[in-house]
Amino acid sequence: MDINNKVLDNPIDALMTITLTVNGEKIDIQTASTEKLVNILREQLNFVGTKISCGIGRCGACSVLIDNELVNACFVMAYQVNGKSITTIEGLGGVTVDEVQEAFLTEGGFQCGYCTSGMIMAVKYLLALNPNPSESDIKEALAGNLCRCTGYGGIIRSVQSLAAKKIGI
Amino acid sequence: MKSNIQEKEDRVRPDGLSKVTGALKYLTDLTFPNMLYAKILRSAYPHAKILSINTAEAEKLPGVASVITYKDVPGMNRFGIIIPDQPVLCEERVRTVGDAVAAVAATSYEIAEMALKLIQVEYEELPIIDTPEKGLEPNAIKLHPAGNICHRSSYINGDIEEAFKACEVIVEETYELPRQLHGYMETEGGVVVPQEDGGITVYAATQHGFKDRFQLSRILGIPEGMIRIFSSPMGGSFGGKDELNIQPYAALLALKTNCPVKIHNTRAESLRASLKRHPMKITAKTGTDRLGKILAHQVKIIADKGAYATLGPAVLDFAVEHAAGPYIIPNIETGGVSVFTNNGVTGEFRGFGGNQITFALEGQLDRLAAVLNMDPIELRQINLRNATDLGPLGHRIAPTDSAALVLKEIQRLYQKSNTPSKDSNWKRYGSGIAIAMHGGGLGFGRLDSAGGRIFLNKEGKIEISFGFEECGQGLLSVIENIAIEEIGCSAEDIQIVIGDTSVVPVSGSSTASRGTSIVWQSMQKMKEPFKNKLIQHASISLSIPAENLYLGPTGIWELGKEEGPCMTYKTCAEGLLDSTVLTSFHFPVTPDAVNGGHFLYSFGGVKVDVEVDILSGMVKVMSIDHVISAGPVVSPKGFRGQIEGGGVMSLGYTLMEEVKMMNSQYATQNFDTYLMPNIVDIPFDTNVYAIEELYEGDIYGPRGVGEIGTIAITPAIIKAIHDAIGCWVTKLPISSEDILEKAEARGMLSWI
Ligand code: FES
Ligand code: FES
Repeated sequence: MDINNKVLDNPIDALMTITLTVNGEKIDIQTASTEKLVNILREQLNFVGTKISCGIGRCGACSVLIDNELVNACFVMAYQVNGKSITTIEGLGGVTVDEVQEAFLTEGGFQCGYCTSGMIMAVKYLLALNPNPSESDIKEALAGNLCRCTGYGGIIRSVQSLAAKKIGI
Repeated sequence: MKSNIQEKEDRVRPDGLSKVTGALKYLTDLTFPNMLYAKILRSAYPHAKILSINTAEAEKLPGVASVITYKDVPGMNRFGIIIPDQPVLCEERVRTVGDAVAAVAATSYEIAEMALKLIQVEYEELPIIDTPEKGLEPNAIKLHPAGNICHRSSYINGDIEEAFKACEVIVEETYELPRQLHGYMETEGGVVVPQEDGGITVYAATQHGFKDRFQLSRILGIPEGMIRIFSSPMGGSFGGKDELNIQPYAALLALKTNCPVKIHNTRAESLRASLKRHPMKITAKTGTDRLGKILAHQVKIIADKGAYATLGPAVLDFAVEHAAGPYIIPNIETGGVSVFTNNGVTGEFRGFGGNQITFALEGQLDRLAAVLNMDPIELRQINLRNATDLGPLGHRIAPTDSAALVLKEIQRLYQKSNTPSKDSNWKRYGSGIAIAMHGGGLGFGRLDSAGGRIFLNKEGKIEISFGFEECGQGLLSVIENIAIEEIGCSAEDIQIVIGDTSVVPVSGSSTASRGTSIVWQSMQKMKEPFKNKLIQHASISLSIPAENLYLGPTGIWELGKEEGPCMTYKTCAEGLLDSTVLTSFHFPVTPDAVNGGHFLYSFGGVKVDVEVDILSGMVKVMSIDHVISAGPVVSPKGFRGQIEGGGVMSLGYTLMEEVKMMNSQYATQNFDTYLMPNIVDIPFDTNVYAIEELYEGDIYGPRGVGEIGTIAITPAIIKAIHDAIGCWVTKLPISSEDILEKAEARGMLSWI
């Protein structure tokens, strides 16, 4: 199945205006009501840190937070995010990098980096809910994010280093 | 997660910050003013004649800028790195569903997609060849003018028939390996921007920018000098982006419309058109004497080439070369044939035929050990190569005792394996090991140019350039770490330039585990002349004897004066006119004229523990230990990442990954049916041990480790399953049905 083509089958979709908050900034945009959020972010708003890989909710490369919930941005449409607040990889950190980003740097949680934006969002979400995740917690939380390069070793070490820090090991 | 690799200095990779912040612009993230979006129409049938192509309706669609067919290819309408046999745009015949028939550039992907639907192609279907066996039938329809045999390769030594007569034990088995997807997370794509002089700038991932330039020049009919390629960064490749993919279409459309043209394949488009790992069927017959000495090894390989050659012949040669791996076998006969079919094109993929052949070889050793009732390690020891033995094709190679060192380490790990002894009702546990030998570089008889450049640029940075690509493998770290080690400067003093054909020197391809080797060897050749130039300059301008000067952080230092450099690189750059040192050389190659024979090899071993659920047939890998001997570790995190990542890629190959084709049409189109390992499928208990010492007198330095971590894992898992349930798996990926049938046949399910 390739639902990338779904919208294309019906390109003359009604335009609507939606209001989003992206990384703290309020934005009004005109878009087809069925446009996927990942395309809105990447193509209309130029937040290309969010990646696209499968387009069908199976890889997590497009993971973002919508009202603090982890969501695949290829799996939600414009009309579903009207009025919502979205955090992308560009919304983390500030002057310095966020602690999850820092952990990925020091533990080698990435190689090509293409899964990394989504992976970091998923780790952020995991640690926000559970600062000291067990092996099975990590597995459950990151099961939706594929990484073809690392074999997950560096990602696991990144998460565990943060968990260890939190509980002061 | 253990490792014996020392973190020399905890340096973050040069591209790290831009990757974790999402700031890095991949080539598929780029946009340009007036950019058009393009889509490619691929063949509706795996094999057909094209009777007509009508693009009139598509051209009329508002928003469409251009529609191209074969008529629009000004140069040679073919591509293929070695053998250009694949049409850029098909003329009168299609041979696979990945074949391109037309392409459209429009103001949006949606319009381009609509336009594809308006292109009318009349086909007349032809009979398909969907297995290599069918392709070999005497009356099979010919897919190419010379027939259906893409390549044959063989190696014969000794007298195999006589040797089998002398054998005490003979085992024979057929091994079947699947079509694997590279599964890079970034699908193929990029932008081609037309230039005022009629040339183009290409921003699209590839593993060899200069080769793309050469191929595009041939297709477009313009000189190479008018083509500039930016080839990285990229979101993974693993061999898959080595061949041209979308570049010719974007380039043709960009020149035709005089606008930048972007193509970024969707996953389904990528799956349809991309290369895959060769499915192979390998039959092996191997015999030993009473004591386990292998006397004879006969191997027949049949590979599914798909419709076009790309690097398939070299992959087959590689498999034939590695048929005996690290073992010394006096009588051997290996024959391989790579057969054209109407299936998707198969080609270069991390491991390059080594994965398939090692699965068969190590499988044979384990079966022999079982029949001989011998310890599998001992059997391997008896047959293992010594440091100065010839290579697997009877050719001279760089002497190495790595095979023995790796096996010894694996033995240590195997002994302390703590397989749970008390089986639960339906869980069984087992351990397995395997080892592998893997050639680096392209091999004898192949143009394998290497080289690099170093100079002090105007800003006072030590600029180091290679014609390599950063695919994610960590090449930038490798360059940085080697430069710091060899020059003595700090990371901040270095500027690395790669992957822009207009400025980088020829280094050859970023493939074949050759990058690390070449960077290290280049630096050995360049460092002294470069240092001398700087030191001479400082010596003359400061009147300090040259022998008292050395290169360090931020500049040139005088011995005994620790407070700071006597001349900064910036100052040095202002006075020193020419500091450039260039090197170009051929990748080290065997002196013996054996086609494809390698000279530098790396070695790896794996020990795994598995759990087999005989109720569900599921196999779970509980732990993986890797032992790698590839010389000194240049970049600890990178090294570990390559080995762990390669291991998991092959865990997927063994347990779950297969791009299924039915009647030469892809049954698998995306990650909903193509399953790659996620974090749940992998053991947290994964350890990587490096053996860093090189054999006495070895001057070739660190070897690349992009591939070696992928090879031994498959046979180790198979052996562990045998250990657990007493039966051999011969077909990958392992299916739970197969496990259940085998368990049932052994009466293990009698309690149900
Ligand atoms: S691109 Fe959204 S989950 Fe894969
Ligand atoms: S780092 Fe390449 S896919 Fe995860």
